Parts: sequence; C-alpha cells; structure tokens
Amino acid sequence: MTPIVEGRGLTRTFPMAGGRVTALREVSITIAPGEYVAITGPSGCGKSTLLHLLGCVDTPTSGSLVFEGQEAARLTESQRSRIRLTRIGFVFQRFFLLPMLSAAENIELPQAEVGALPGPRRERTRELLDYVGLGDRAHHRPSQLSGGEMQRVAVARALANRPALVLADEPTGELDEDTGEQIAMLFDRVHADGTAIVVVTHNQALASRAKRHLAMRRGAVIDA
Amino acid sequence: MTPRALAWRTITASPARALLAMSGIAIIGALLFDMLLLSRGLLVSFRDMLDSAGYDVRVVATDSFPLLRIPVPHATTLAAQLERLPEIQEVAVVRTDRAVASLGRASQDVTLVSVSPTAERRAWQVVSGSSLAGVTEKLDHPPLLVSRRLAASLDLAPGATLKLRVLLPGAPSALPLVTFTVVGIAEFAFDLSDDFTAATTTDAFRQTQADRGSDDADLVLVSSRAAFGPAAAAAAIGQVRPDVKPFSNEEIVSRFNENGFAYFRQISFVLSSITLGFAFLLISTLLTMSVNQRLSEVAGLRALGVPRRRIAAALLWESTWLVGGGGLVALPLGWLLALRLDHLLKQMPGLPERLHFFVLEPRALVLHIALFAAAGVGAAVYPIWVATRLPIAATLRRDAIS
Amino acid sequence: MPQSARTLVPIGTAALVAALAFHLAAGHLRAVDSTAALAPRPATAATAAPGVPEILMSRQLMEQAGLHVGDVVTLATTATGTRAARFKIVDAYEPTPDPMRFTARRLEARLHLPDLLALTSDPTDPLSSESVSVLNVALLRPQDTDAVRSAVTARVPGLSVRPTSRPSDGTDLFAVLDRFHWAIAMVTVLGSTAFLLALMVMRAEERREIVGSLRLIGISSRSILGEVFFEGLLIALAGGLFGVVLAGGAQGLVNRFFQWQYDTPLVFMRVTPSIAWRSAAFAVPLGVLAGLAASWALLRRSVGSLVRR
Repeated sequence: MTPIVEGRGLTRTFPMAGGRVTALREVSITIAPGEYVAITGPSGCGKSTLLHLLGCVDTPTSGSLVFEGQEAARLTESQRSRIRLTRIGFVFQRFFLLPMLSAAENIELPQAEVGALPGPRRERTRELLDYVGLGDRAHHRPSQLSGGEMQRVAVARALANRPALVLADEPTGELDEDTGEQIAMLFDRVHADGTAIVVVTHNQALASRAKRHLAMRRGAVIDA
Repeated sequence: MTPRALAWRTITASPARALLAMSGIAIIGALLFDMLLLSRGLLVSFRDMLDSAGYDVRVVATDSFPLLRIPVPHATTLAAQLERLPEIQEVAVVRTDRAVASLGRASQDVTLVSVSPTAERRAWQVVSGSSLAGVTEKLDHPPLLVSRRLAASLDLAPGATLKLRVLLPGAPSALPLVTFTVVGIAEFAFDLSDDFTAATTTDAFRQTQADRGSDDADLVLVSSRAAFGPAAAAAAIGQVRPDVKPFSNEEIVSRFNENGFAYFRQISFVLSSITLGFAFLLISTLLTMSVNQRLSEVAGLRALGVPRRRIAAALLWESTWLVGGGGLVALPLGWLLALRLDHLLKQMPGLPERLHFFVLEPRALVLHIALFAAAGVGAAVYPIWVATRLPIAATLRRDAIS
Repeated sequence: MPQSARTLVPIGTAALVAALAFHLAAGHLRAVDSTAALAPRPATAATAAPGVPEILMSRQLMEQAGLHVGDVVTLATTATGTRAARFKIVDAYEPTPDPMRFTARRLEARLHLPDLLALTSDPTDPLSSESVSVLNVALLRPQDTDAVRSAVTARVPGLSVRPTSRPSDGTDLFAVLDRFHWAIAMVTVLGSTAFLLALMVMRAEERREIVGSLRLIGISSRSILGEVFFEGLLIALAGGLFGVVLAGGAQGLVNRFFQWQYDTPLVFMRVTPSIAWRSAAFAVPLGVLAGLAASWALLRRSVGSLVRR
C-alpha cells in the first residue's frame, strides 16, 4: 500500500544564539493510510518538529519527505499549503479557533477555501457537528464553549475537507482527564472511519489507544 | 468565508477598539481633507469672485497691480476707445475713494464706489429699497446705496439722508460735504469684511471730488467677446493703449498665487504631508499590533492550509474597513471643521467678504480619497508582510512553549 | 511693548518708490517693480562721473541684476526712462525681513531722502517735494502710543497713525494665524487621543493573562493601576521628549527649506520652551490617562475571564 507520507533520514536544525541546535536527527518514518500512530517523549525531544515536517508545515534541513508520492522539498509554499488544506487535518493543543466566528463558521472555513458551495458546505458542517456531538452548539462562539467543546470543534474543522491524515499536537494538553478521554474516543472513531492519525502526546491513556507507538528522545526515535 | 467578511468579523469582534481607531482616522482624515481644501480654496474662491463680476479683463495704470493701485487717468476716453475694439463686448469704469460719512453726531469712514451704469447689476445686489438707476421720484439729493454693515452702523434705512466728504491722503480735506439720499441697502460683490461701503452714480461721485482728478478711475473692467477671449482682448488693449496694463483674470489669479496665497499653499502642503504620514504611521501601528496579537492564530490558519494571499487579502480588507469607515466620516466632519476654520481665518483684516479659504471642489475630494486609499494600502503592507512571512512551525512552537 | 508710532503720509502716485524704473548705466531701460525682473547689465567705472550720488541696493537686486559695489546705475520714475538720475552703488544691504510679504522678491534700493525727492517729486507740484510717504516716530514713553495717535489724528485729520506693535484686540493677521494653528493643533490632539486609546486598549488586551494572574494571586486592582500609571508616565515622558526632539529636527528642516525657497532669513518655525512645555503638558497626561482608561476597562472584568484562554 502506498504510504501517505514517508520520511527518510529527517534532520532539522535551528539557528540559536549559542549555535545551531538539532531538534531532529536522522529520523525515518512511514505513515500508511488508516494508521493510528502515537508519538511520545519528554518535552523538547523533537515530537512537534517531526509532526510539523509530516504536515508539510516545515521542511527538513536534510533528508527527504514524500507526501503521497510528491517530494515535499520540491513543492512551492502554495502547493504545500494546498496539500495541508485538502489532504491533512491539524488539531492543536490550543485549538486556534477564530474567536470571532461561530463553531459552524470555523468548520466551514477550510471548506470555503477549497471552493465548496454554500449548500454542501453547510450540510457537511452540520454532519461534522453531529459527529463530534455539538449539533446544538453550532452558533456558539469559542468564548462560549468549554475547552473540550472547542477541541471537538477543532477536530471537526480538521475533518472538514475529508483529509487522508489527521495530525494532532498535544490535543488533550489543555484538557482535564475526562474531557481528554472524550477527545481520545473521538480519535478512535475518526480512525475507525479510515482516516490515518498521528498524535503527539504526553497523555499515556491517549497514546495507548494508538495502533503504533513511537518513543522519541533527543531528536531520535528510540523505540518503534 | 470571503476575506472581506472575515475582516469585517475581526473588526466587529472588538467594537471599542475599532470605533476608537475609526474615530482617530476620521479626525485625522478631516484634517487632511481640510488641508486639501485649503491648498487651492483661496485661489478657487478668488477666481470665482473675479469671474462672478462678469468681466474677464481688468485694465489698470501700471504693471504693479495688484500690489499698487495707481489711478487710471482719463478713464472715460479710455473706456470709449476700448468699446470700439472688436474683441471687447463691454467696458465699465470703477472709481473708489475713501470718505467720511456723517449722520448727526455719528460718523463712519467708508469706501465710496461708483461704477458705470451697465456694471451696477454685477457690482452689487440691492436687498432693500431700490437701485441707483431705479429711483423714479425726484430726489433732493444724489442717490446712495449703502452696505448692510454701514446701514447697521449708522442705523440707516432707504429714505435717510447722509453727508459724505471725500478724504484726502496726507492732508485735511476741504472737499465739499455732499448730502445723499439713501435709496437702498445692497450687498457689494467686493465688499471687505471689515469695511463700510457706499455707492453712488458717476455724476455724484464727481461732485464729491470737486473736479480733483475728476476723470481718474481705479480700474476699467472689460468683458471680452466669446469669439476672442480674454487673452486676445488684453493683447488688443495693449496695442491701442500701451500706457495702461490689461490683466486677464487668469493673470491676476496667477499673481495672487505667487504672492498672497503662497503661505496657505505651503502650510497646507506641510500639514497635508504631516497628517498623511501621521495617519499612515498610526494605522500601520494599529494593524501591526493587531497582527502581532494574532500571530498564533494566523500560524494555525496557515497550518490548516489557508494560503498567504487569503491572509493578505483579509488584512487588506481590515485596513480598508477601518480606513474606509474613518475616511467616510472624515468628509462631513472635515467640511464642518472647514466651515469653522474658514470663519476663523476670515477674521483677518482687509479680506473681501465673499472670499473663502476652504472651497469644496471635486479635485480635492478625489485627491482625498486617493491619498487615503494609498495610506490604507501602504499601512497594511508591513502587517501583511509579518503575517504572510511568519514561520508557521516556529510560531506554533513558540505558542506551545508560552 | 510699543516702541514707536508709524505715521503714513502718502505723497502721491509718482513718489511710490516700489514703482521705480531702473535704468542701467549702459543705457538700456528695464521697467521693474518689486516683482519684476531686472536684466543684469554691469556698469563700468569709467561711465561714473564724479559727484554721482550714492545708493544702497538690496542683496537680492544686486544678485538678480548682476551688479557690484562701485557700479553706476540710472534710476527713472517711468518705464520710458524720463526723469532719470544716475547713482553709484556704495554697498549692498539685507532688507529687514517682513513676514507680511515674505513671498515678494526684495528688489529694493535705498536713497538719501533729498535724492529720492529730487527723483520722484512732481515738478509742477511744489508740495510734492515737501511730502514723504512714512514717518517713523520713536516715543520717549512707549506706553503713550494711544495718546500720541489721538493727538496727531486730531491735529492733522486724514493722517493714518498706526503703532508698530501688534494690536492687543487679536484682530491682526498673526493673531488670526495663531488661532488657526491652535485650532489645527487641537484637532490633531483629538485624533491622536483616539488613536492612543485604541493602541492602549490593544496593549491592555495583550496583558490580559498577566493581569489575570496578578489578580489571582491577590494583587489589588489599585496596585495594578498604580503600576500601569508609572509605566504610562515613563512611556509618555519618553514619548513627549522624543516628540520635542523630533519637532526640533523638523524645525531645522522646515526653516531651511522655506528660507531657501523664499530667499529670506525669516524663521518660519520655532520650538520655544513654552511650546515644548505646552506639548508635554498635553501629551504626558493624555498618555497616562489613555493607559489608565484601557487598564481600568480590563480590570473591571472578572478574574476568570481574564485568565481564560
């Protein structure tokens, strides 16, 4: 099966005041369609950096990353942007919902960007709100929602354009244990529906639900 | 959701902030609008005032006009000579002198005016009583029209009598004290805001002079025939009478532009530039601060795949809403402010009543809109650059750490 | 304080010095007035006869006409060159700057009064050589200006007597211009205040979480406002100082530009200590108040809403 994304020898260094710091060294990783992968490790071990590379948000200093057969380094920013919009869904620790838009409008935003017509767009939004259990909160703004509800809206937004891969960076980091459990169950459903998920987390309960587990330390995968 | 709608939602999400920003833009915009009106207002108003008299060439004694007003000698002969020129349609002689008007124990220095009968309807407008030529019954004294201000000062009404004695510069006047009958109150086209004016017939004017320089005139007004125009008329006058100097209205305006109006032209240029720079700086600061507060949000959107141009368009729209809204309010606000400033500047001594410093003309309006649009777009450039060039991963990482 | 009274005694059209026509020694006539151009035509010393009266010429006229000290020029009262007389230029002078006509080219000459009268008086009118256009009078007691004016006007009706000082009733040109600039300054202050408030609201919003945390650990609103006050005061003082320095820099630029454009030593813009103080007196309280108002609006909110992300 053709992998969704395949990284070979991924290294990422950052210029810092005291010299270059290597956040990721020689990491190779393959994500197949429908996979559920958890990446764990201590803070600063390079988990988020790897997630950003997999999501075409960042480019490696060396190594190669191929997304659905396309070498990411050869793509323009606008092409990578298009991939993120149509093939990848992002879920962030701090949700990043637009505060001036309602839950429904936040979910409609990525659909509008790909040119979906208002009718199908609204239909898909309703469907997603029901999917995450927030059908009755469509017109509420983020400030009127709880942390768990905001994260569920963020998951719905990530699924809006039916991506092949959902990347979640500490999705339960801002949530209490029970709410985190609800988000974990939501990811289970997303995975069950055939979408590949890569989740970066400190939450062992969430990590344990993944089918594959990568442990990282000092920029390298130490246990796959 | 379109960038325009997104920008609108962003602005309305913080109404107090948006309202304050728009108020600032409106006030600064009003000032800019006023400076644009001032840059040409005096000239436009002056030209309108000259043109409204209906004469497009003014004949004076020397080239030094308008700095010096040297009398034109033998004005009647000159007028007759000019009337015969094919380029000229109409000629009017204008005479003025300083006089003291007395009524009982009250007295007032006035400017006494006399114009050719044909020019009377253009030189003043009777608001009460009758015109000089319109008196039907036989009067005991020569007729006199007085300005509203003079009428108010000496409590005059049509039918009153008033004594006038022309003043001699540098010497006590022994010229005859002539009694006039006030036949009407008029608004004078070239009345000064701090002057008192009276007008009478040419014969009565001569009577007040007692033959002193009896045929001198301050200036001779000429209207050219449409087929020739003022330049041709002025050239023809120069040919037949090289001892006098004809000025077209265009030339007079140009001379005033070089001399008297320079200060306001310069001050409006300096203040327009400062105002525009100020507006640009403040809008840019507001937008940049606003973007800086939303960097993580923007990075999130970029990570979701929202392209740079959409982010740029949304910010441009945000600037457009703010600047457009403020700019729109700036126009009526600027006009009200211009009326106030005009009133203030018209307190300058020796200005014609009908002269204005701020004149609304389409050119100023278009320039204001263009400058404001440019400032709005220019001010959005830096924040757009910040938002579209931000490193997505680094910004998200920074947010996670904070 | 008034130093003198100025008595204007016009002596007729022929005597108006500004309407003089200058006829150069080389024999070509150029009619000029204070705004017209005089073609440069240097005269030679050889043409100068002994006993030619002396004359001073303005720097601007010397430059425009290409004249030098020692040149002999002919002045005439009419453009046709009638009633002309020759004069030797003995020096150039810088005309006293006149803000009332700073845009005019100062093409001027100074003659001894008898020479001027001889040149300009009307031979058919004996009185014309007994007249002058202006008498400048220095009073022993400057505070007597009004009394002197009344006395002269009463004795010689028709004379126009004006003090050289500005009238105190605020009706002169510069008083009006003062009010105009003051009005514009007020409008600018209003606009700036609105912008400042908007910026401070944003700045306060930026610090929402910090303020929330401080409130959570029990720091009182008053203490936070006090901290904001001192911070605002420091920023406003620094901003005010920067503004004065900026205005000082602009002053040099503006003055140099206009002095170059109008060829005048007049000073168009001057940042005086009084103006600097007045600006600071507006800017500093406004800056502090804007900061306090924005922070106060923030502090009115509940602690929960402040710390919530």
